[in-house]
Parts: sequence; structure tokens; C-alpha cells
Amino acid sequence: MSDQQLNNLIKMLDQIIANNLHHGDDEKVTDVAADHLQKFWARSMKQQIIAYANQRPDELSILAKLTVDKLEPAVEV
Amino acid sequence: MLHYYDPSTQSYEPGKSGLNPDFDSFSRDLGTPPSLSEELVSISVDGRDITVPEGTSVLRAAALAGINIPKLCASDNLEAFGSCRLCAVEIEGRRGYPASCTTPVAEGMAVTTQTGKLAKLRRNIMELYISDHPLDCLTCPANGNCELQDVAGVVGLREVRYGFDGENHLDAETDNSNPYFSFDPSKCIVCSRCVRACDEVQGTFALTIEGRGFDSKVVASQNDPFMDSECVSCGACVQACPTSTLMEKSVIEEGQPEHSIVTTCAYCGVGCSFKAEMKGDQVVRMVPYKGGEANHGHSCVKGRFAFGYATHDDRIREPMIRDSINDPWKVVSWDEALAFSAKKLKGIQAEYGRESIGGITSSRCTNEETYLVQKLVRAAFGNNNTDTCARVCHSPTGYGLKTTLGESAGTQTFDSVMKADTIMVIGANPTDAHPVFGSLMRKRLRQGAKLIVIDPRRIDLVHTPNAEEGLHLPLRPGTNVAIVNALAHVIVTEGLEDQAFINSRCDTEAYNTWRRFIAEERNSPEATESVTGVAADKVREAARMYAQADNGAIYYGLGVTEHSQGSTMVMGIANLALATGNIGKEGGGVNPLRGQNNVQGSCDMGSFPHELPGYQHVNDQAVRERFEAVWGVPIDNEPGLRIPNMFDAAIAGSFKALYVQGEDIAQSDPNTQHVEAALKALDCLIVQDIFLNETAKFAHVLLPGSTFLEKNGTFTNAERRINRVRKVMEPVAGMEDWEVTMALSNALGYPMHYNHPSEIMDEIASLTPTFTGVNYDKLEQLGSIQWPCNDEYPDGTPTMHTVDFPIGKGRFAVTEYLASEERASRRFPLLLTTGRILSQYNVGAQTRRTSNSDWHEEDVLELHPSDAELRGVKDGDWLGISSRVGHTVLRAKLSTRMLPGVVYTTFHHPGSGANVVTTDNSDWATNCPEYKVTAVQVEKVSQPSDWQRDFVDFDKRQQALLKPAMSKQENSHATTLK
Repeated sequence: MSDQQLNNLIKMLDQIIANNLHHGDDEKVTDVAADHLQKFWARSMKQQIIAYANQRPDELSILAKLTVDKLEPAVEV
Repeated sequence: MLHYYDPSTQSYEPGKSGLNPDFDSFSRDLGTPPSLSEELVSISVDGRDITVPEGTSVLRAAALAGINIPKLCASDNLEAFGSCRLCAVEIEGRRGYPASCTTPVAEGMAVTTQTGKLAKLRRNIMELYISDHPLDCLTCPANGNCELQDVAGVVGLREVRYGFDGENHLDAETDNSNPYFSFDPSKCIVCSRCVRACDEVQGTFALTIEGRGFDSKVVASQNDPFMDSECVSCGACVQACPTSTLMEKSVIEEGQPEHSIVTTCAYCGVGCSFKAEMKGDQVVRMVPYKGGEANHGHSCVKGRFAFGYATHDDRIREPMIRDSINDPWKVVSWDEALAFSAKKLKGIQAEYGRESIGGITSSRCTNEETYLVQKLVRAAFGNNNTDTCARVCHSPTGYGLKTTLGESAGTQTFDSVMKADTIMVIGANPTDAHPVFGSLMRKRLRQGAKLIVIDPRRIDLVHTPNAEEGLHLPLRPGTNVAIVNALAHVIVTEGLEDQAFINSRCDTEAYNTWRRFIAEERNSPEATESVTGVAADKVREAARMYAQADNGAIYYGLGVTEHSQGSTMVMGIANLALATGNIGKEGGGVNPLRGQNNVQGSCDMGSFPHELPGYQHVNDQAVRERFEAVWGVPIDNEPGLRIPNMFDAAIAGSFKALYVQGEDIAQSDPNTQHVEAALKALDCLIVQDIFLNETAKFAHVLLPGSTFLEKNGTFTNAERRINRVRKVMEPVAGMEDWEVTMALSNALGYPMHYNHPSEIMDEIASLTPTFTGVNYDKLEQLGSIQWPCNDEYPDGTPTMHTVDFPIGKGRFAVTEYLASEERASRRFPLLLTTGRILSQYNVGAQTRRTSNSDWHEEDVLELHPSDAELRGVKDGDWLGISSRVGHTVLRAKLSTRMLPGVVYTTFHHPGSGANVVTTDNSDWATNCPEYKVTAVQVEKVSQPSDWQRDFVDFDKRQQALLKPAMSKQENSHATTLK
């Protein structure tokens, strides 16, 4: 995985969250964002963002980290 | 097994113009347009009783009764004019000889079309016409298809008593300025059909009759050569001309065609039907087909004339392979090319894993072809790494409309616009990009419909001749959502909602949430004015115009979708339509104008990585099981990579091979240098195309593609209309595109066996709930079908959501405006937006290889005079355009179409590098690139950019590597012809 690929994934994730903030509290927002990733992101993209979140949990925004945490159990490897 | 016309196995049957027996009924000209009245009137014509709608002309009623009254100035696509007087008749109880074209039927009317007096009258008229007409019929290009000649025969003209020595127009000079047709005024009978076609059908008003009496003559604009006039070369005048005054140059050079086959244009999303008029296996001309439901016999300069690319010398005629992009191409057999491809793909998967390869389908290819490509990826590659070029244009339409209305498609027919009272056009330029529909829209505007245009540019539609000026809201690029919210705010706060519709058809909770949001003061036109740049009172006026109309219709294009909030904007548009009850009825609706011919179809056919055909998600087990039962292999339950994700993965080294059918990602996708890096990183790029396009220069396998003239299949246009594409000539390399995909799949070990695209469509219908009623037999019977077509709607669905939505209730969506990250700054103070021009099509691979380039030889940068003055720029100066990702150079064109601060260019020429400067910003939901907003700086320069110099070098090198192979295929082609 390249830095550019990772940066793009983080940017996309942040964008998805930013466009769904209107759904309400953090729980709802991250539910919607995780569902979006589940439906539209490729397996490898999910795996990469999960791996990154696990390795460097502090470098994702709080909402991004919460979103990725919800994603993890749904990924079939 | 069904049997369809195949020029290689079936001979042409004289008298049959195509495949469907009904086609011939559209070749008759009934003289005047139909009346839409529901009241019926009965008359007798020469003793034959006929009942027709009130308002029908006597001429048309007679034609419907099977009686052809001679005519010259009348045509059933033009309003009656009554100038030639040849259609005079006698009517019982009435004096004189009224023109039947301008005389409406009346109950009990008894008409006589043939008497001695009428015969004499008609002969006298013809005598006058012919006294000023060259008698060169045997050498005239219209010979065999001349209405004047036919009518002279019908009226029995035997002599011209006036002689031919008097004053005449026989020496009038021919205007050959247009590359496609000539104007020979010596043949003109001044019937005005060309002038009226330009006015009534095309809506350009480029032609007029200048002078009076004997001096009357047809002129273009201010008596200019056609090429210098306002003429847009749509061909309507040529079609209307009853002589050879306006005549296709191809007919002048090659003679009259001897048979024709109806097929569908492969340019924009209007999907016009054309008769390919042929001599043997050569297309002489493309004539818009009157029976085409999308175009009703009209055309534009691309579909009508720009088909010469099909026989261009640049066509790739044989498969080619090479190990490296620095190697020369080697011509090989199909078997060798396919075996080479299969070995590479399998090897890469063995080394890098199942997900290391993928495929891209094209919106230029047929439904059957795109279906097979995504099937190849899912079944033979074993992953879901399939995407389509719709990713970079209308993917937000899919997301936005499915979320709000439950279906990923426009809601109306094109004809629906004729019932619209207010037309709102957002981020689209129909008269350039969808010209035939643009003409229909203009017709409705001339009838009095109101127009709102929301676009940074002042598009031509704003000023439609003989119609009220449109209300133009010139917003700043990137502020779409702010303005759609402001429009909705006015509708909600001024009580303009359709509460009955909302209560009965929409989800209450979603509506209440949306309403609370949209009513907030921050969404008001006054609050958003500083963001959008549009005066609040104009926004309020537009909202009222739309909401208070009986029927309000919204049409939108890539100016909506190609933004970081493209999907949000699509939902905002759907919100407007739901709030005003403009869904489920003619004259209303939400209508995405699709850029390419089969954008709708490529999306329908499961090209997106997360959806199987019919927008059925891959994680739905029941859906997968149905496909698995038919395809015989397991289907991955996770979405695959989208095009931009494929590029990132290629650069990262995990994605190693790509099969691209009919798509030029190297030119059309944003941030060209990023795309080039991705393509260079691939171990195997297989390109199936008709030319060595920009992408193919990075390829290892080149599989010859077939043009739309060389294959069977279907296209689905922007109104969900499935139209037949019929093969009129053999594919240059022997295989249609669907056959190539099938052969590749077989080479990979996943068997595919179809004898005809009709069998592919049968499979599609068996797996796609909205297509279950679609088959080729029905398409032959009905001409075309708008999906959904199933047990519930056996003949298709012209207007969607009339009763309910696929998701039950319409769902309002909250559309919070977020400014794009791409903003003007001190370093990049201007905003670049891109678009298309009438004469060129998309990446230009087709139109650049035709005379259409006479209108648009190069892409230019339009900029406002005030921005030009600040930089000391004059028209024609070379300008360097820099963004944060790249730099290119274009010639300057000063224009007041845009606001100061906004610059504009097209992307039809690869060397322009328009996408070198566009960024990889994209829509939050779909990754559709943000082509429409790029912060740039422009400055005068004296030389091309580094990228442009590299482009020229790379192009030269790749052309040199191709040349030996092309010479070999030329020799082989010549041998075959011998």
C-alpha cells in the first residue's frame, strides 16, 4: 500500500463522514458511514483502512476511527 | 433461434428498407403534422370515408385514406405553408381550389382530389417551376430520389411553353463551404422547406428567404457561406429539400443509396434512430429515421454526418501484442492474441492474487457487450473489479436517484418536455451536447414554456430565437448544493409545496426532517447569495417559476454530477421535484441528460463494482444465488475496485492487469499524469478499441473493436429507451465486440457461448427484474422499449413513478452544503470548468477523424475579458494554465459567457491536456471526479507545457511502434479486397 493510496482512502472516509454529519450524533453518523463503506468499498480498501486504524489509531479522526471500528467485523477476508 | 438481418448471409430484399415491416410506414410523408385533438371528424376523399382528429389537414386526411395529393412545399414535420398550390383540391359546397395542406377537415366534408381543372392547374404550376429549373435530371445527384421530378411525373407535365431563354437562376453559384452538403441555388424552387426546417425542427433560424418575387432566394444568415453562417449543420434542411439544392456530398460523389437499415446513433445519450442508407456494404448517408421515438426524424451534425471514422485508415484491423510498451506491435491471429492475453491474466492472478486484475466497460458499447464484460470480470476473473466510464460522469445520478426515488434512471420520455410549463436546466448544455433534444426543448420554449438555466456559463439555450429570454442563474462553480437548497427553501417557506403529493407519496419522517433543515434561514437565497454569487431575488423568482408551474421539469447534466457533492446535488434536485409534486406525470420529472450513447445501459448492465445487472447489490445473497445458478460459478460478495481505486492500486503495485473495452481512460479521466503512472505500472493492459487511442499507447494487447455500424445489439438512451443497433457492414477484424469478450472468456477457461446478441439479452432479461419482458422479438415489434418492461409493464414504462416508487415512498434527503476543497486562492485565483462542444464528441476519437474538426480544430480556453485584461491577454494568445496537479497550454478565447473568475475549456483533443490540470478530487459517495471545479492560474506563455512536449514525443514513439504493424495490416487488407 502506498502513502498516496492510504491518503486517498483517509480523504474519502473523511469526506463520507463530513457529508453525513446531518444524521445526528456520532453513533448515527458512523453507522451511516460504515454502511456506506460496506456497500461501496472494495475488500482490499476496507482491509487497508482497518489495518491503518489498528496500527495508528490516533491518526484518524475520532469519527473516522469509530466508523472503521464498526466496519471490522463485517469484512470477509 | 431467432433470425436477424446479417449482411453476410442475407441479401437485400428490394422494397424492404430494414427489418421491421412497419419501418416502411414511416417513409411516407403525410404532408402535414398530426393533430393532437381528441375530437374526431369524418370526411370523404374521392368517395373514401376517413375519420381523423379535428384539426387534421385535408392533405393529411387524404394521405391517411391512401390518396396522395401532389405537393412540394408540404412535409409532415413542418407546419403547413400553402405556397406551392400543387395540393389544391375541390371541396363540395366551397368555391375555388383551396390548398389541402392549409385546409382543416370539417365534419361531412366531401373532397375531390382529381378533376380535369385540378390537373390543368397543377400542370401549369409545375410548368412555371420547371421553366426555371435545370433539365439535367440524368446527371443530377437527386436523380432517383427527387420530389420535383416525381411530381412532374405525377401531374403529367409534357411541355414548358415558356421556353428556357427567359430570366432565370440557372447560373446561380453553388456554395460548397460546408464539408458535408452543398447548396446549389440553381436547383432551388423556393418552397421554404429548408427555412422552415431550420426554424421549426432545429430552432436555429439560420436560413431566410431574401428578396421578393422572382428575386426570392434562400440565404444563410446575412447571405453568408453556410460554413460562416449560424448554420449548425444538423441536416434538417438537406432532409427537407425536395430537389438537389441541398444535397449530401456523399450522395453527389457516390450516387443514390440502394437499400437501408435502421439503427441507433452511437454518439450522445439522445439515441437517435437513423436509416443507414447503403450501397452494398458502404454507408452513403445516415438519414434520421422518422419512426425513431427519441428523435422523430431529426439529427445533429455528429449523427447525421460524422460517420466516416468507421472506414478511416487509422482503424485497427488485426489483433496485436507486445511484451513492453517500448516494443513494436506485432500483428498476430485472434487465437494468438487471446492466448497471450489469457496467459498474462492467469499468470498475474497466480502471482498477485485473484483481485489483482479487472475490467472497464464502456458507455459507447452495447448493452450486450457491457453485460459480457462485467460477466467476464465477475465469473472468469473471479472478482468484482469491474467499472464503467459512467463512473466519471453519471455515477452520482445512480446514487442520488436510487436514494430518493428508488431507481437509478431519469423519469420521463424526451417528448414529455412538450408538456412542461417551466423547464429548469442545471449544469447541462443541451443544444451542444444533446442537440436533438435541445431542439425539442427550444420548440417547447417557442410555444411559451419558461426557462431557468443554472450554470456558470451563459449557454445558448438561454437565448432561444422567438422565445422569451431564459432566467439565467450564473452560479460560482462548486456551489450547486447551496443554490438547490436556496430554491427548496423558497418553495418551503413561501408555501409552494404540493402537500397532497407529499402526504400521499412521500415518507413522512424523511420529509419532516428535510423540511426542518431546508427551512433554516442559512439555506435562504439571501444567506447563500455570497456563496453562490447569484442575487437572492433571482433565486426566489426561479423557485416560484418552477414551483408554480403546472408542470415543472428538471434536466441536468455533468455540471451537476462532476462535483465533490455530485450525489448530494442529485438528491437536492429530486427533493425539488418531490416537494412540488413534479414526479409521475408528463411534463415534469427529473431527467439526467446522459453524455454518451449508452451511459444508462452500461449502468443498467451491472458495470459498477458493487452492483450486478439491474442495480442488484453483490452482497445480496438471494441475488447472487440467481446469477450463480445461471453463470455456474460463485460470485464474490464484496464490491470491487472503482476506476480511481484501480489507478491507486496499480501505482501501489497490487493491481497489475486491466481489460478496457471501448474507453479511453488516459484522455478522459482526471489528473492525466496520475492515470499515466497507473497505466505504466500495469504488467498487462488489454485494450479493445477501434483506434490506437491514448490508453492503447500504454497497452500490451490491442484487440480490434467494431463500430456501431459493424455489430448487433442494443443501446439504452437517457430516457431508458432500449433501441436496436443493427449491423450494416461486417466488422473490420471479423469479430463484433461481444464475440471478442466471449472468445477471451473461453481462452481463460470460463465458457461463454452465444450465437447472437439476442441470446445475451435473453440472459439479461432472465436475471434483471426491470428487463424481464425485453427480448429482440418485442423490440422488432415495438421499435423500442423503455424499461421497466416486465409483467407489470409489458410494453415498457414511458413515465416512471406514476403510482408509487420502487422504495415505496419518495424519500427526501437532507442536503447539507459543503464547500469543495478545491477553492480559488491567491496562487490559483480562477476556477476552471470543462465541457463539450457541438461538433466534437467526448475524447474526439471518432469526430476528430471526420470533417467535424472543421468547426473545432483545437480546444481553447475561454476567459472573461476582465480576467484577460488583468493579465494582458488577447484573443489567440497562448496561455499557460496551472493547477496544483499540472500545467498545460491552450490558446485564449475571450468570452463573456462566464462570470469573471471562471474559465472554461473542452477536452476533445488529447494534446490539449485539459485533464492534466483537473484534479483527483471526487464525489464523496461515488468517486465521480470533480471535473467542473479546478482552481487555476493562467498566464501568457510562448511554448507548450512540459507535459505537452512529452505527449508529442510519446505519441510519435507509439505511432512509430505501430507503423510496421499498420503497414502489414494494410497489405493484408488490400489482399483481402483483391
